[in-house]
Amino acid sequence: MKESGIMTPIDPLTTEMTSCPDVPVSVATFRVGQAFFGIDILRIREINRQAEMTLVPLSDKDILGILNLRGTIVTIIDLGLRLGLGPVTPSRETRTIIVTSEGESIGLLVDAIGDVADGRKLEPVPATLKGIKARYFQGVLKRSDQLIGILDLDQLL
Amino acid sequence: MNLKMADSTLAGSTRVNLEVLDRLMNLAGELVLNRNQLIQSVGAANTQGTALASQRIDLITSDLQETVMKTRMQPVQTIFERFKRRIRDWSGQLGKEIELAILGNGVELDKTILEAMEEILVDLVGLAVTYSLETGDDRVRVGKPRTGVLKLEATQDAGQVTLSVSDDGQGLAPASKEEVRQYGSKISALGGDLEIGADPAREIRFLVRLPLTLAIIPSQVTAVGQERYALPQANLDELIRIPASQVKDRIEKVGEAPVVRLRGALLPLMDLSGILGLEKKYTDQDGTVRSDRRVNMADRRSLQHCSHVSQPLPQPTENPKALHPRHTKDRRQSRDSALHIAVVSSGTIRYGLVVDHFLEAEEIVVKPLGRHLRECLAYAGATIMGDGKVALILDISNLARLAGIPKESMTPTRWEDPREHQVSDAISLITFKNTETEYFCALLEQVVRIERFSWDSIERVGTQKVVQHRGGSLALFTLSDLTDALPLPEKPFCEVIVFRYGKREAGLMVSPPLDTLEISLNVDDATLKGSGILGSAIIRDHTTRILDVEELVRQSNHTH
Repeated sequence: MKESGIMTPIDPLTTEMTSCPDVPVSVATFRVGQAFFGIDILRIREINRQAEMTLVPLSDKDILGILNLRGTIVTIIDLGLRLGLGPVTPSRETRTIIVTSEGESIGLLVDAIGDVADGRKLEPVPATLKGIKARYFQGVLKRSDQLIGILDLDQLL
Repeated sequence: MNLKMADSTLAGSTRVNLEVLDRLMNLAGELVLNRNQLIQSVGAANTQGTALASQRIDLITSDLQETVMKTRMQPVQTIFERFKRRIRDWSGQLGKEIELAILGNGVELDKTILEAMEEILVDLVGLAVTYSLETGDDRVRVGKPRTGVLKLEATQDAGQVTLSVSDDGQGLAPASKEEVRQYGSKISALGGDLEIGADPAREIRFLVRLPLTLAIIPSQVTAVGQERYALPQANLDELIRIPASQVKDRIEKVGEAPVVRLRGALLPLMDLSGILGLEKKYTDQDGTVRSDRRVNMADRRSLQHCSHVSQPLPQPTENPKALHPRHTKDRRQSRDSALHIAVVSSGTIRYGLVVDHFLEAEEIVVKPLGRHLRECLAYAGATIMGDGKVALILDISNLARLAGIPKESMTPTRWEDPREHQVSDAISLITFKNTETEYFCALLEQVVRIERFSWDSIERVGTQKVVQHRGGSLALFTLSDLTDALPLPEKPFCEVIVFRYGKREAGLMVSPPLDTLEISLNVDDATLKGSGILGSAIIRDHTTRILDVEELVRQSNHTH
């Protein structure tokens, strides 16, 4: 069940209309390892500091554990491992982004939270994006000298 | 033949049992009253009132949750029954002879899940009937009976309901299995799992596991290392603690597998930390967490031998029945060298699960795990403990499978007693003696405990013997008081079996050896029947009289 982003209205000043129908209006950006990524802000329920988790032995390597979010059991995934970038190293800036996917809440552990960016300037994904599979991304945003990969949650999770 | 799924139409209303509604009304009323009381107590800083009200609210909330859940539960019968007509129709349409077998009609599921499953089952059963079951002629040709059997079965394990579609046909071709995958995601959306039977020879074609949402189950919480794991009480038979000194005697090996001897049967043992791949750790006295290098379960060496720290071990618990208190920190200071075994069972599987400690017995709310953890078959779900942390709920039958133990070897071996007839008639007895040559026994379930008193501590009040025990007096009898047995020989110490019948307790003074056994009894209730004796039986070559415990306790009533 894919949650669609808000349709971009036609800008009366320029007749530009973005080609992707599901362009997120705002994206929350964050850092995993040395790379920057973003998620449609409408898919994010909340962002927490890392809380104590319960380990789940015998689960996949990228699953760190489960925790209690006001009565719901939320699976926490190490986004670094999931993207193939190496594990997120715990620090004071580590955060868990709780997103919604297929009707449940899932937590993504990231190295640090960045600020909110304008998602309407989304550009198509280049052929290789730092070695991670292109299908995990909806597109990229350019910001100063950085390339922010906007994640497609339904493909990623 | 049109087997296409109709549009899903979830009814907007449901029938609810009036009794259940009344109960809900009552509970709502109680909740209001106690809420008022709580508010008042908190406002007036009345700690006793607050504690009382919160205790009541605790109970009412559990009740409420259970009752609300009941309003949504319906037996699978409602959907299974409708298959009778369908199978008849399909048999005709396909020209096959099919018989429907239904098992587990009484198992209940949440109404929404049930309705959604009906649509899915129609398709799955349709696939089995179309592709797996053969025509009458084809079946006879391969030596099968003409009529094929399609079986719909529902079973319930705490927290989970399993629906299965089986048939004695040829199995599904890989092509049709692909078709089935779409149902996998529909079932996932309900919080369940679809398993497709891989082996055509085994009859199960589809297995659907569904959570009992908001199920509240009684459980036994156990600890392994720093983590807690809950065992559903429905799967728990008993808890055993074997002190370190006895481990060598009671743990044996059948081939490579450790087993424990339990009342005449050999029970396979599984180490929970081993199955889950947890590294065994313990915290020694200076706070360092170290690895426990004892590899063999039967190795009960003190931890000193395994570490470089030469410090005295903390004392192990004296009382084997004490449950370890829960601390928020330093939960487990050391590994108690005793062996803690939870005897668990699920269907025909029965084994002993070795854990580090037993914690509380608690009622827990079963919460489903997220979809990324559905493949972890070891867990039936998770729960939120009182301190807000999550504990995993173990799936007993899958754990056994993960440990690689095939189902057949899980049925515990019984010692062969040549006088045993059928296992199903077996009862548990406690045997004891009076004088050297007089053998007696009684039903084990009526035994509360076994004590040992010094002869001097037994007082005589008139003709009645009593002993001061646990803050009160316990009436004591000898077999010569109740039956025509000989007087009990005097010894410095006396074994006393404390029986309970109804609300009364009484102690019987006996002679060792005391033993327990499970046998099927051929009771001769004629030859030796008398006062205090129900009858007699031959146990281990001795004529053993069976004690009438009711009479014993009744006698104790009269003297009080």
